[in-house]
Amino acid sequence: MAFTNLMLVFIFNLLYLSLSSGIEIPEEFQKSNHTNNWAVLVDTSRFWFNYRHVANVLSIYRSVKRLGIPDSQIILMISDDMACNPRNPRPATIFNSAHEQINVYGDDVEVDYRGYEVSVENFIRLLTGRVPPDTPRSKQLLTDEGSNILIYLTGHGGDGFLKFQDSEEVTSQELADALEQMWQKKRYNEIFFIIDTCQASSMYEKFYSPNILATASSLVGEDSLSHHVDSAIGVYIIDRYTYYVLEFLENVHPNSQRTMSEFLAVCPKSACLSTVGVRKDLFHRDPSKVPITDFFGSVRPVILTTDPINIVETPKRKKKTENKTKIQVKRDYVPQFPMHLVQVT
Amino acid sequence: MGSENNISNADESNRMWASASFVGVLIIIGMPLWWKTTEVYRVSLPYEKISSFKPLSHFVTTELKVLANDDATASKIVSEIQKAFAESDIIKIKIEKTVMSERQQHILRSVVDMEKAVEELASTLDLDQENIFHVVQKKSLSHNIWVGNERIMFFDDEKASETIVKALDGWIYQTSVLRGSRSDTPDQARSTRFPPESAYHITLSIVHPRPDTMKVVWNAAEAVEDYIGSFVDELSSLHNFTLKSQWLHLLDFDFQAREVKEVSEWGRHFAVRQDRLSLLLTRLEERAATHVSELSTINLALYIVPCDKAPIIIYDNEGRKNPLSIQAFMSPKWGGVVIASPPAEQCSQQVREFEPSVGQIMGAFVSHLRELLGITKKDAIEGAHLEPSRSVSPRRWEVDALLRIRTLEQVTSAERTLQSLAQLLEEISNIVINDEVGASIAAAVSELEAGAGEGAGADAARAGRAHAHAQRAFTHPGLLALLYFPDDQKYAIYIPLFLPIMFPVVLSLRILLLWFMGKPVHKEKTD
Repeated sequence: MAFTNLMLVFIFNLLYLSLSSGIEIPEEFQKSNHTNNWAVLVDTSRFWFNYRHVANVLSIYRSVKRLGIPDSQIILMISDDMACNPRNPRPATIFNSAHEQINVYGDDVEVDYRGYEVSVENFIRLLTGRVPPDTPRSKQLLTDEGSNILIYLTGHGGDGFLKFQDSEEVTSQELADALEQMWQKKRYNEIFFIIDTCQASSMYEKFYSPNILATASSLVGEDSLSHHVDSAIGVYIIDRYTYYVLEFLENVHPNSQRTMSEFLAVCPKSACLSTVGVRKDLFHRDPSKVPITDFFGSVRPVILTTDPINIVETPKRKKKTENKTKIQVKRDYVPQFPMHLVQVT
Repeated sequence: MGSENNISNADESNRMWASASFVGVLIIIGMPLWWKTTEVYRVSLPYEKISSFKPLSHFVTTELKVLANDDATASKIVSEIQKAFAESDIIKIKIEKTVMSERQQHILRSVVDMEKAVEELASTLDLDQENIFHVVQKKSLSHNIWVGNERIMFFDDEKASETIVKALDGWIYQTSVLRGSRSDTPDQARSTRFPPESAYHITLSIVHPRPDTMKVVWNAAEAVEDYIGSFVDELSSLHNFTLKSQWLHLLDFDFQAREVKEVSEWGRHFAVRQDRLSLLLTRLEERAATHVSELSTINLALYIVPCDKAPIIIYDNEGRKNPLSIQAFMSPKWGGVVIASPPAEQCSQQVREFEPSVGQIMGAFVSHLRELLGITKKDAIEGAHLEPSRSVSPRRWEVDALLRIRTLEQVTSAERTLQSLAQLLEEISNIVINDEVGASIAAAVSELEAGAGEGAGADAARAGRAHAHAQRAFTHPGLLALLYFPDDQKYAIYIPLFLPIMFPVVLSLRILLLWFMGKPVHKEKTD
């Protein structure tokens, strides 16, 4: 009796072990097939008292640059000039903390759209790619089907809209349509959309294109609050959500193993005082398995060359023979005074 | 009393005619005029033709000539190939079989060297015709089949038919890459090569971090012109290339290399991990100024390692050392980098002068360019011998394959673009479709209808034009919904303006009708 019991237990254990070894260990990170990273960082509000929005967007700019995305792949849109504002007691600087440790403006900031160029029309044109033909390359979003884009918007917003320049608005429907057109034209692989305004989550409610992960600093009906005042400068210097995001990003380096789900949980209600909203249903990967460098860093795939061409004979390109006869150009001075026009009486 | 009546009649008819003229001007003339002038200008588009496009139905056609010593072998080979490609929806092959002439058989029997055999045969067969490939029997081959630079494959006997089919599928026609160029989601080859455009810039940057410590002798302009120029001349039917070169001095990069002691002339080498290399690309992008031009730029960079950090050897992600004498890597859709370390004897001298080996380095760059422009690596096939390429120019049949891939890619991309554009324009009814957009769409549709996505050569040009027209139509700056009033806003503007005026006009219509029909307008007072 005892022997059969023992046998049963033994067989049961064997079965259990064999079954559990059949469960595969999930992969550390789910692979994305993106080939490059872009960032679109937009600050939409004017006037001196909205200093914190410019500080927000420049802080994100510095983090993204530090993690490796080159300037040629960052589109920075800032609506008003705070660094050289006559009310700035620290000219040519923008700080994001009352301790004034880091000047986020710096020597090498590259603002692509500045002042009144930041408008709803330019923003939608940038996203959809319908820019006027003479637009320089640094002002175009030259993404392709393998690009992961980080979109960060900050400013004043409301239920279903984001205010630009204190005079116009972009509605959530327009933004959703613009992203859908980007999807149709295969202009992105995945988008990470961050918005730090009041009632921010209303902006991503209307999205309907795939592969978008969105997060907002507050839900509909809530206001996003600013963090602290710098009494030397006299304005609020940074917003709460962005402050905690920056704290998180400070510990992220180019080889970081942090995941997106950690980023999405960066600001609990006790810290942010508004509830952070997340929209995951359009994103097909599990955020807890997506590395943060998929959006914040620039990890370009690198393929080592294993078969260089062994060139045996030196090629010589056939030069097109041009029949250029050198004509000696005679040069002399133009007469100093056009005497032929002066009537000599 | 009568004159009063007459006067009142005249009065009434004046009033009625006045009302009638109001009605006439406002309702009969005004409303259609308003409707016409506030109409959104939309050029009529061939919506039915666009919706009838089927991007996944396109295929390429090509010709194949099989030559054998006798009819039985030829028939066997032809039937094997036909069987293998019968169900292929991506490529249609027209096969022609011939028995070789005495002279050809004699050439193949007597000439042992493969290259020479190809040369001799070239006089009898026309190997320069595009999109025609030859499969020729040559007895006593060391492998089952042999493929070289020209459009010809030698096979041993009919037992090699399986290898022939595999080689045709994987090397010559590259059906998997063709399928990837047509599909909705990109495959590996499509993620690596540059998107199709009519022209590219190729910039060779020589990065010299410490020009004060070492002199580098390298003629960049000549190297680019000769090596890269000869390569891209072969692809001139597909794209235009502008070749540029530049020197980037004092551009330093910290490889975070680990010193490894070894027994060699240096006594050490510096190990660089593969995952650190992508940050070098970021650093290069800062100074390479590649976005100066409107067109996409293929970046080729030669990094000269200073003596105190030399030699650098790349270790891959698994920790294995790169065994080749040339340390190079490539990044999809960006370009390639070669890391050149000076030799130890140069570094020990007072005046250091480093002359990198041009042929070796340009060989690495050309292999990068091949992949970036769409010529994929060929996997090894058992029993088949692919003669390694020893010249800068791509193999003839590789250029044919590239033409086919690009044609298919551009045709399907143009169709998808037009379909999504048509859907967008139908959905948003208040976007203005101006003449330019209409003309671009019409041109793209006509090119697509004429081409029907087959073959290569002339149709590659047509596919390129269709693609360019479709792109231009889709990215036209005039197609912005923001610029035009949506319908509800249009009514919201006009109704407050015109409704108060229309009220009395509409109300007076009843009275007008009664008057015109001759009925008394006012009820006569009856005592």
